[in-house]
Amino acid sequence: MKIIYKIILGALVLTSTSCTDVIEVDVPEGPIRLTIEASLDWEKGTLGNNQTILLSTSTPFFDNQNPNPVNGATVQVTNVDSGAVFAFTDQQDGRYTTDAFVPVIGDTYTLDINYEGEHYTGSETLYSVSDISEVTQSTEDGEDDEALEVNVSFEDPEGIENYYFLRFQSQNDLLPELFDIKDEFIDGNEATFYYEKIEDEQDNISEFQPGDVVDIKLLGISRNYYNYMQLLIEQFESSGDPFSATPVPLVGNCINLDNTDNTPYGYFRVTQMVQETYIFQ
Amino acid sequence: MKQKRKRRSLPWIWTGLCLLLGATALQAQQNFTISGKVADKINGETLFGATIFLKGTTIGAVTNEYGFYSLSAPAGTYTIVFSYMGYKEVSREINLEQNQKLDMEIEEFSTLLDEVEVTAEEPERAILRKPEMSVSKLNIKTVKQMPVVLGEVDVIKSLQVLPGVTSNGEGSSGFHVRGGAVDQNLVLLDEAIIYNTSHMLGFFSVFNADAVKDLKLYKGGIPAKFGGRVSSVLDVRQKDGNSKNFALTGGIGVISSRLAAEGPMFNDRGSFLVAGRGSYAHLLMKLAGEKNSVSFYDLNLKTNYTIDKNNKLYLSGYFGRDVFDFDGSFSSSYGNASGNLRWNHIFNDRLFSNLSLIYSRYDYELGITDFEFDWISSINNYNAKYDLKYYFSDAFKLDFGVSTIKYEFDPGQIKPTGPTSAINELQLDQKRALESAAYINAEHKLTDRLTAQYGIRFSHFNRMGGQPLSIYANDQPLVYNPTLRFYERTDPVDEVTFSKSESIKKFSNFEPRLSLAYQLNDNSSLKAGYSRAAQYIHLLSNTSSVTPLDVWTPSGKYIKPQLSDQYALGYFRNFTDKMYSLEAELYYKTVDNRIDYIDGSDLIGNNTIETEILNGESRAYGLELLLRKNEGDFTGWIAYTLSKSEQRTTDSKAGGPGINNGNWYSTPYDRTHDISVTGAYQLNKKWSFGANAIYQTGRPVTYPNGQYQYEGVSVANFSERNADRLPNYYRLDVSATYKPNKKPHKKWKGEWVLSVYNVFNRKNAASISFGQNFETGANEATRTAIFGIVPSLTYNFKF
Repeated sequence: MKIIYKIILGALVLTSTSCTDVIEVDVPEGPIRLTIEASLDWEKGTLGNNQTILLSTSTPFFDNQNPNPVNGATVQVTNVDSGAVFAFTDQQDGRYTTDAFVPVIGDTYTLDINYEGEHYTGSETLYSVSDISEVTQSTEDGEDDEALEVNVSFEDPEGIENYYFLRFQSQNDLLPELFDIKDEFIDGNEATFYYEKIEDEQDNISEFQPGDVVDIKLLGISRNYYNYMQLLIEQFESSGDPFSATPVPLVGNCINLDNTDNTPYGYFRVTQMVQETYIFQ
Repeated sequence: MKQKRKRRSLPWIWTGLCLLLGATALQAQQNFTISGKVADKINGETLFGATIFLKGTTIGAVTNEYGFYSLSAPAGTYTIVFSYMGYKEVSREINLEQNQKLDMEIEEFSTLLDEVEVTAEEPERAILRKPEMSVSKLNIKTVKQMPVVLGEVDVIKSLQVLPGVTSNGEGSSGFHVRGGAVDQNLVLLDEAIIYNTSHMLGFFSVFNADAVKDLKLYKGGIPAKFGGRVSSVLDVRQKDGNSKNFALTGGIGVISSRLAAEGPMFNDRGSFLVAGRGSYAHLLMKLAGEKNSVSFYDLNLKTNYTIDKNNKLYLSGYFGRDVFDFDGSFSSSYGNASGNLRWNHIFNDRLFSNLSLIYSRYDYELGITDFEFDWISSINNYNAKYDLKYYFSDAFKLDFGVSTIKYEFDPGQIKPTGPTSAINELQLDQKRALESAAYINAEHKLTDRLTAQYGIRFSHFNRMGGQPLSIYANDQPLVYNPTLRFYERTDPVDEVTFSKSESIKKFSNFEPRLSLAYQLNDNSSLKAGYSRAAQYIHLLSNTSSVTPLDVWTPSGKYIKPQLSDQYALGYFRNFTDKMYSLEAELYYKTVDNRIDYIDGSDLIGNNTIETEILNGESRAYGLELLLRKNEGDFTGWIAYTLSKSEQRTTDSKAGGPGINNGNWYSTPYDRTHDISVTGAYQLNKKWSFGANAIYQTGRPVTYPNGQYQYEGVSVANFSERNADRLPNYYRLDVSATYKPNKKPHKKWKGEWVLSVYNVFNRKNAASISFGQNFETGANEATRTAIFGIVPSLTYNFKF
């Protein structure tokens, strides 16, 4: 709902707007923090034993170097309900991996990281996800009647509160297209979301062409993670335009037990996932 | 506690007022009264704010909104003088031996231009004797002289070149007064509340200059007869319509045109005005192959009927709409509608009354074809008010009256439009409320030098039932999570349904208002004022600029009424034989119960707004200077404002430190410096020129202070709320007006107006957004500038 609303407001502005350009701006520099990308996504129909956690540090906003990987941390995940402990191995490139993870729907997991003498922790519950019922392509839907778009449909179970994270990644592009979805307005219905690229010469965006490949992931997520991603996506897409809310720092679910002010960035999520790859005809 | 103390003080005020009344009544025994109406000689429009005084005395009066005046003086022979800004002064000898009526018609300065040489004009100079302060008054003629964007005269933009008034940037709706929010302005068009003052997101105002008679903006010292908003009152009055001749006025511009017809009707017992305006840019855009379209139109209507010399009826209406269409995928339309029936009744030569029945509405509709649903939202209000003015004596005038407003809020309805729509039908809770008020206000000349205006308004707000209300554990719709350190919404534990006869919550407030004017000498005066105001309805908006899709909500269990206290001190001076005037004012304003929105708040389609807000306060203070040159071929002014506007949100109910860690932060409408220079130059009878230059400190915004990689994107981390600023804003506009027709007897009068907005084509940032380059992934800052240089040509005519 919010997305639609934002599109409308954006369009209101753009229709009348004359020009946008990229400029140099001095921005403040905040403290460097640990960034946790602990996304334990269990693909439906697999064991889900192979999992990776990424650790890095934040950088100044206009710094264009790749993320600074963090090595030498100890990382482990515990299933609070069963007591099972999964140790992650430092791969010395910012990745910490395990091949022994056991995902259980409804169970709660905690993450513990020790890095530079400080103990970081967070916890999350694993939610299930609906299957993707259909992936199609069309031109007549979407914003532009002539541009290709890929449509993904799934059935929302009726009567339960569900939250989803939908991710499209075109293999030719660097940046993904992200959707945060809650079933408040679509409870019990088949919902369809589309990814369409509108040609934009200034930003070097071109429409989808036959042969383009798009990876699609649909994740069942917790309400708190939905709130986190909703804000992340909103700010990623439009922070600072006149009709977006005042941008704010994102607050994830991990904390620093030793130095509360040195809060880490990122999130610890445990989800069930379905994925498909679509090739435009 | 506070309220109790106020309540005790009320009888004291009443006693005081009664005593004053008694005293002046005695004194008024031997006096006689002159009363009547002042109108324009050419078109019969009554004049609001014309001054009438008896030469050689300090006795005077000012006409009210309906052109009515009344003054009393001891028996004797006097010279009575009528004057009004832009009009030729008229004087008459009168022999005052009994109460008498004297209607006067005076002539506009410019209409005389062609025929006679005029040496003096009553200009917009500083008014010294009246306690009225913090008021910006603009003659519609002055407004029309200023350069405009896209050829459309805009009263709201004109106000922004006066001190203390700013906009939130190009392409944003509404305006800000003395560091206040858009929803803190009460905007009245013929007394009807207008909820959205802009067409096309702030590019044009909803007021058609051809239909407007005058406008007055109260930035402070708000008279007791107005209430309901804590920041300002913009009182716009429509023309009554030419009661002498049929006349057509119009303008043809590049993207819009307008036409107004007016004339006498009902056998000269009344007159009418119909004015319409529309844009046709969307047609041109369609021709140019653009699939999206934007347009607006509006219609003003007014008619009046004189029943007899003591009774007159007015009917006025407004209807405006904006329509957006995006290639058939989305469409949106929104607008105000209002109607007002008024009955002016003169009881006797001292007691004037007006009864108004007013309806107004604002609504929007969104049609989302792709997802097959419609979204509609509206606010309706019905208002009855009865205002009286009693001209007790020259030294004492009393305004009093009552008002009641019934509000109906429909914050949102979602309706699927097709059988395959994935969207379920939804109706957000409709809300109802009743806002009532009674007021009394005295204008009291205490000595020849000291005049006071004092009064009190009692307001009452009843949030009526007829809706369910969510109940939360411990009465906390949101709680602070001390571990993760953010505010979390809580789920309701229960829902209580209030029947229509029940009341959810009631509030009442006493709002004292006081201003004093002390005339130091013939050319200068000091003024001081205090006012308290309550605001019971609020516009929910967590964006830096309000949008036409924001929703109004009433006070109730979870949102308290906003309460403001404003103190102002001013120095006013005319010099060089009134050629120049200087107005300087200091103000300090606080607002209690100003809500702000938690990090990550989501207001759209949200039925439980209480989970998104925290209660706070705001304060604003500043210095305003206005130096005008009032006479001569060159006229104009320099306005400078130095100010600060901040808010703090330390609500302890939810636990936690509040927004921005409980520290003060700038509001989005804080502008440290705001300078504007406006000039008009009359070269000869054919050519005149106008220019204005504006410089402003940039709008407070929040910039990123770092980035991190997550989910394949660079995520920006943001620093403290509104701690950074957009680049400073600067702009110069010029205009030239050419009047080819000089034949005085020809009825058709035309003029060409060439305006150039933003002559230096400066790309003023309306916003700066931060994001990743789609191709390289590098972070970049993108500036959106709405208007570069915009030349436009308009042809205006009068017939």
